[in-house]
Amino acid sequence: MFFKALDLTTALRPLLLPDETLLFVQDAVGLYEGKYKIQNYQNGHAYLTSHRVCYVATEDPRKYSVAIDLKEIDRVEYQASFLKSSPKITIHPRPQKNKADKSRSATASPAVFQQSALHSTQSLSTLPQSNIPQGPLSPKSINATWICPICSFSNPVPSNFDPATASAATHLPPCLACGIKPPFTTVLKAAISAATSRDSPLPLIASPAISHSIPQPSSVASPGPGGSVSCPRCTFVNHPSLTECEMCGAPLLSAGSSANANRVDSPAPFFEQSHIANTEVSESIKLSFRAGGEKTFHERLKGALVQRKWLLQNAPPVPPPSQATFSPGLPSAAAAVESPVPSTPRSSGVGIAGLERRGLEARKKNELVIGNAFEDLGALMASAKQIVALAETLAQESGMTSSEGSAETSAVLSESAAALGMVTTKDMLSSGSESLYLSELARDLAEYLTDDRKGILQREGGIMSLIDLWAVFNRSRNGVELASPSDFQKAAELWEKLKLPVRLRRFKSGLLVVQRYDWSDEKTIEKIQDWMEELRRIPPEDVVPWDWSLFGRAVTAQEAAHRFKWSVGVAAEELEMAEDRGILCREEGIEGLRFWRNYLSDPISDNLSRLGI
Amino acid sequence: MTLPFPFPREHNWPPFFTPQPNTTTRQDQLRKWSDLIQSWCRHHRQYRLSLIEAVESPLFHNATLRKRLDIREARAVVDWMTKSEEEGGGGRRAEWIPDAGGGSSSGVMGSAQGQGPRTVAWIWWKRPEEWADLLVEWVEGTGQRGSVLTVYELIQGEGTMSQEFHGMDTDVMLRSLSVLVKRGKAQIFGGEGQEGVKFF
Repeated sequence: MFFKALDLTTALRPLLLPDETLLFVQDAVGLYEGKYKIQNYQNGHAYLTSHRVCYVATEDPRKYSVAIDLKEIDRVEYQASFLKSSPKITIHPRPQKNKADKSRSATASPAVFQQSALHSTQSLSTLPQSNIPQGPLSPKSINATWICPICSFSNPVPSNFDPATASAATHLPPCLACGIKPPFTTVLKAAISAATSRDSPLPLIASPAISHSIPQPSSVASPGPGGSVSCPRCTFVNHPSLTECEMCGAPLLSAGSSANANRVDSPAPFFEQSHIANTEVSESIKLSFRAGGEKTFHERLKGALVQRKWLLQNAPPVPPPSQATFSPGLPSAAAAVESPVPSTPRSSGVGIAGLERRGLEARKKNELVIGNAFEDLGALMASAKQIVALAETLAQESGMTSSEGSAETSAVLSESAAALGMVTTKDMLSSGSESLYLSELARDLAEYLTDDRKGILQREGGIMSLIDLWAVFNRSRNGVELASPSDFQKAAELWEKLKLPVRLRRFKSGLLVVQRYDWSDEKTIEKIQDWMEELRRIPPEDVVPWDWSLFGRAVTAQEAAHRFKWSVGVAAEELEMAEDRGILCREEGIEGLRFWRNYLSDPISDNLSRLGI
Repeated sequence: MTLPFPFPREHNWPPFFTPQPNTTTRQDQLRKWSDLIQSWCRHHRQYRLSLIEAVESPLFHNATLRKRLDIREARAVVDWMTKSEEEGGGGRRAEWIPDAGGGSSSGVMGSAQGQGPRTVAWIWWKRPEEWADLLVEWVEGTGQRGSVLTVYELIQGEGTMSQEFHGMDTDVMLRSLSVLVKRGKAQIFGGEGQEGVKFF
């Protein structure tokens, strides 16, 4: 199992894979590796998705966020809170194939599990220490093996087996292959020979006498010609990049690959690293839930492990149940069901009758889709894709019929039906955590706004009023789990705190707008000034009594809105902001309120006019 | 007087006629209006400005732009001019003339300066103190210290033809002379309309 690097969205949430859905979010979660806390990973959000368990730190989330694939999880355990200890969920990794002999045995018999656990603790104990590369000799008698006299399977000597203190009464684990307990002397001899080989400063070449009866777990394999490594136990010549003998599974520790080999036995000392992405997890990891939510998380994690949605990641969509009535004639109907199923030949109907029949077929088809979907919950899950597609089509159709002014917004709406997957609902969060709901809603909004596919903020010229956003956002949720206005505003107020790339801003008049965090008045003013300069260069269409090459032309809020793609309310506010800063000045007349570049306070024109006087 | 008044470029610019809400811009706007009114009056040798007449003049009414400063706004500008710079005004470049012209019955509002109808104002394109300095300069330059001159001589006499105060408003001349009296540099005697002045 690996800690994988995690891509974050602009809202600092895990970037979901296709078909991945968010199941649960919990804040104030800490991460443990085995028994130890992982530095810098002690306060963050845990995101449970259908494919992964993600951790995103609250501080510096770009740096400290990791994910674990659910497919690599063997099982999870729940541990209730005890005194000051927070409730925890332990995640045990699925055994890895390249560690076959140890791991397989770990799952083979419960008795040996204890042993492998000992291995793990042994390897863990080196973790908090420095990251000095360990020499091939330093690890304790991991390399010691004893050969079962019954089946001649070479078993590792238990790490807690000390030849000095062990007696016949010492508990010995049975052979991993045949399950027969070894004679005490066999194990003792193996341990002693391993100890002597470790004590000797020079790498030993196994003497034939010993290697006959007792496997010599020499710490250094003899490198053969061409860099290949011959196994110290069975003398099989292995490829140099192998870490374990291909034949007998004995660890190969050639001098050249000692660093790599070392990593296999004991995972990298990542306590020293501030960044644990892409490091291997040797033992279990724990999620510590300091603010509750562990029960729901556990339940949903178990559910996700059972459902195995990741298997479906590249699976073809469910074929439509009825193909006979499917007609490709109507584009909307074709779009309604995206399926690679070969369509039936085009119906022969022509003219209005044909169109009507096609319409009827499409309606029947839609009826069937809806009917199937609501037959039972399982069928609904299967038909979810179709239903979303249908909803999109319906939204598009309704967008066509409405006035052209809102066509763009409708398009945004219909496109964002696809965003159904990535919305946080109150259902996903444990009850009573209002602040978490708000912060997740804030993230939802930030993602929704900054999503390049939809580009809502860009379309609105980088700034839009909060009310517009509320309307569009709620409509994009298709009538379920709507955000209340007060929640919405509270969530918007959280953006700054959560360091999200959007900001809520209050204009002088009290109008609340949403804009990118890097949007500043200075930038707006720059844009307006550029515009004003431009107006000075372009002669006005009509003859004007004033000196247009000096003063340019007046602009209205409508013109500004058109030019910068703002809404008119926002444009008026921005122009007044510029006026407040002394960049613009106003002209009130029968034509309405118009804005000019401020030549009243302009020092250059000031001098000119003084000369004129 | 024959030359047309050279209006500043702002006068041909629509926002100049709209009171600006921004305080800084408003100050600049008022200053420009004050400069304009002063230079207008100087150009036309005008010492008092009647707002009722002026709002129809090209000063406050730009026919080409079809923009005007209405009497309320014009009054605000002159009000600003009457204030000293310390009060955030235009450095006492104007002074309301109570009960002068206008013709409306005042006195109800009190005769204090700035009260009443406020339609006519002195425009001090040179303040009385500045006129006084000019007079002293001229008197000393022509060696007339200690001599006696009539006010009429000062204003209309041939000796002052080259001076800026030639043809000055009698009231303004008397105000300027009284400044000199206060400084102890002159003495006014004689009756109404027959004033003489002796420079020390």
